[in-house]
Amino acid sequence: MSGLRFRRSAAPLWRAGGAIAIAAAILLAITLPLSAQSPEGLLWEHVADSRVQAVAVSEDGSLVAVGSRDNSLRLFDARGQLLWSFEAENSILGLDMSPDGRWIAVASEDRHIFLLDGDGSELWKFKAARPMNNAAVARDGSLVTATSDDRTVYVFDNNGNLLWQEELGIGVRAVDIYGSAEKARLVLGSDDGLITIYSREGRNLLQIRLDYNVISVSVTPNGARVLAGTGDGSAILLNGANGREIWRFRAEDSVSSVSLAGDGSSALIGSEDGSAYLLDGDGNLTHQFRQESEVLSVSLAGDGNSLSVGAVSGSARVYDRAAALSGAARSSAQRQRTLLAVISAIVLLILAAVWAARNTAAGQQAWQRSAAGPVGVLQTMWSARLSYLLILPTLALLLTFNYYPAFSGLYHAFTDWSPGVRTEWVGLANFQSLMDNRFFLSGFRNAAILVVVSIAKTMTMPLLVAEFIFNLRNRFSQYWFRTLFVVPIVLPAVVEILVWNNIYDPAIGLLNESLKLVGLEEFTRVWYGDASVALGSIIFIGVPWVNAFALLIFYGGLISISNEIIDASLVDGASTWRRFWSIDLPLLMGQVKLLLILNFINAVQTFELVFLTTGGGPGAATYTPALELYYKAMRMDRMGIASAIGMILFIIILAGTVINMRFVSSATEYEA
Amino acid sequence: MVTMREGQGTERNASVATRAESGEGTGQPILSSGSAFAILRLSGTQFLLYTVLLVLLIVTFIPIVYLVALSLKDNGQIYGRFWSMPDPYRWENFALGSLAIWRAVLNSILTSGSSTAATVVLASLSGYVFARHRFPGKEMIYTGILALLMIPPILTLIPAYVLILNMGLENTYWALILPWTSGGQVFALLLCRSFFATLPEEFFDAARIDGASELQSFARIAVPLSAPILVTVAVVRLVTTYNQFMWPLVVISSPKRQVVAVALTQFTSEIGVTDLGPQMAGYILASVPLIVLFSFGMRHYVRGLTAGGLKA
Repeated sequence: MSGLRFRRSAAPLWRAGGAIAIAAAILLAITLPLSAQSPEGLLWEHVADSRVQAVAVSEDGSLVAVGSRDNSLRLFDARGQLLWSFEAENSILGLDMSPDGRWIAVASEDRHIFLLDGDGSELWKFKAARPMNNAAVARDGSLVTATSDDRTVYVFDNNGNLLWQEELGIGVRAVDIYGSAEKARLVLGSDDGLITIYSREGRNLLQIRLDYNVISVSVTPNGARVLAGTGDGSAILLNGANGREIWRFRAEDSVSSVSLAGDGSSALIGSEDGSAYLLDGDGNLTHQFRQESEVLSVSLAGDGNSLSVGAVSGSARVYDRAAALSGAARSSAQRQRTLLAVISAIVLLILAAVWAARNTAAGQQAWQRSAAGPVGVLQTMWSARLSYLLILPTLALLLTFNYYPAFSGLYHAFTDWSPGVRTEWVGLANFQSLMDNRFFLSGFRNAAILVVVSIAKTMTMPLLVAEFIFNLRNRFSQYWFRTLFVVPIVLPAVVEILVWNNIYDPAIGLLNESLKLVGLEEFTRVWYGDASVALGSIIFIGVPWVNAFALLIFYGGLISISNEIIDASLVDGASTWRRFWSIDLPLLMGQVKLLLILNFINAVQTFELVFLTTGGGPGAATYTPALELYYKAMRMDRMGIASAIGMILFIIILAGTVINMRFVSSATEYEA
Repeated sequence: MVTMREGQGTERNASVATRAESGEGTGQPILSSGSAFAILRLSGTQFLLYTVLLVLLIVTFIPIVYLVALSLKDNGQIYGRFWSMPDPYRWENFALGSLAIWRAVLNSILTSGSSTAATVVLASLSGYVFARHRFPGKEMIYTGILALLMIPPILTLIPAYVLILNMGLENTYWALILPWTSGGQVFALLLCRSFFATLPEEFFDAARIDGASELQSFARIAVPLSAPILVTVAVVRLVTTYNQFMWPLVVISSPKRQVVAVALTQFTSEIGVTDLGPQMAGYILASVPLIVLFSFGMRHYVRGLTAGGLKA
């Protein structure tokens, strides 16, 4: 019965699969030419061979300082004309410019901090034991500070006199200054996640503890808001008075640089994921400036209208915010593309309908009837109105909750998607970014392993046990063994995983305790925390893998083999072994294929198994694509990238299913 | 040999059907040639089979035994005397565990139950229409619905979540019931249609002659005759939705409305149970609905999944 049904449904499925594959291909074809986009709002760019490691913009955006790895600091005017340049003896690692452009503090790998005036003349310099990695200057130039790789912060007055220094004993490179003259304050962020605000004299005024190393800080001129960029890819806006978190933004990779507009109304965040994110005062993303490489430094003019971005590729770009935003708002082009996609989907459906009318029996009937005149079809449809009415609820639900999301997912895979905010067509950018995403790539490898292992598990142990039970001579034992092996199916899938979490518990888990009991203490470990065994531990869950469902399917297949065949094999003197290979296995091919495809589909989408055990860790050791999809969508709000992952998995599953179906039809012939 | 196998073809398929219907524990004598006293005597091979099966069975049951043992211990017993039996038995763990998860279990029963009921009603109706009615576009619509079997849940997860957000249904039972009802219909329709198609036309002709309306013949003839297949659909849907994890995790954020599969994983963080014993007791209690369901519906479940084919 099952086999018959399976085969009957296979033919339309096959066709539908083909149609979906064609639709996907066409969507892809539409996308390709649209993927190139002109950068919006770009005022000018400076391209050099060496990476741009520091940028700074004056308050009105009329001066832009660019420090790069070729040891030079260049000052440009608003149109990108070079005003002057300054050479240090090694690469420039950090720089800061007072809002009026009168003072520029420069930190260099040559271990010096320099204070320059507005014309590029060196006023003084100071040498530390190790390279200086960042510098800041007060708006009136009265206070200058530098952080160094020797884990010390140095503070100077305008004349280069060292006011105080503090050895922190931990890496430090996030520093900024607010206020002026005697009221100047220093904001310092270090690798232990601490942000400290010091007075001019070095008194500790406030400490804020964050969860990850602080890589960059920026503060408003009145000190009311502090923006911190941390190593986990967060940018966190803090209240400068009490240290409370106001909002938090997640980039896709570590944040390298942050900059806050003077009035706190906008913020710019540069991340190693290759984007600079422009946020509004409430932490909502207003625009994303994609770069071709990691962004090392960003700077936002005091009024927030002009912004500059420095990247590994050696480009320093200056954008006009208003132009960028209006460019993004020019979404009529987006709408046209959406329309195009919708129209092409409709055309596709019509083509499919025509094809169905030509090639299926029922379709031809409808075709002939419609050839008699459109009124005829309408009449038949009207007389069948009850039928339509009865299937209407089913169709309405399926269209809303299944069809619409499926097409929406395929479409949004090509967009930068923030529901309710904006949907921006980005072509293949999502797929490109996935190709560089190590979590996704590692997930892919793991998913491949899990697919193979899951199929191997289902094809061996349940079949073995089914065959063993089948070969027991005692019917009573057969019944009990089969029943008992099926009992674990009553545990919800989640419970099984949770119990295994407990078995693997490093503190008081069954596995480690057992190892200790038999004196193999050296083999105990943190099973989920050790990258070399984490994936193996996950695979080991459920040992000895006698899956109840697969067992029942195989066993059902075995008892349906007719006794005559088995008796005949006995008469022919076939051994049990021979019978297994020549009779049981060929006759079980239907079951094998069913389990094969079910396991394939499930294993490609593996989520709970890693989400509930290792959460993808340690590092990226046990990531799966579905897990990355979940994190991207739910924790980082990257719905577009999540949709792209979904689409890739869909294509893989579709391909696997189609391959399996061909395989099914060829082998069922042998079975019959 | 070969000719014989070909000859067996149709009969074999028929026997699959009858065996699947008759289900548990009624396997026919496997080797008719085996004599009665052979059962008493364990040959070497039989002994080996028993040994291997027993070992595998014991290993399979280790986690379950471990679960039950931990559920009856307190933290002191677990950390202090890991290997000893529970002493005294902490039955109160089950009281504590049930306090922590009863609400989630009820949520699960409510959402699984109502979506399953809706699925059965809708799918039987439309399955009936697709099996017995003729109307323009029938096969095309049906193929269009079957095509959904090709769509893996992972593709629709995020767009469906956004849809739920836009509808304002996030964090409500509807966010679970509506998509589950909708998604279950595809597989249910497949089963129902092929079952309704096997019902003899004469029944319906007779009903029509007696003046029954279309809906009456559906309710009075088709549904009673197809009770087994409807139960199968219901059991499969109940088990599937009860085990759902990712979708509730995404659309339900309030612990009050969370289903049990997700609630169990948030024991410590949301519900505040840190002792292992009550946690394990909670795991066992969460299995009770499935134990009840499987105790009568196992063969329906297996048949449904086998027949449904592609979609687990």
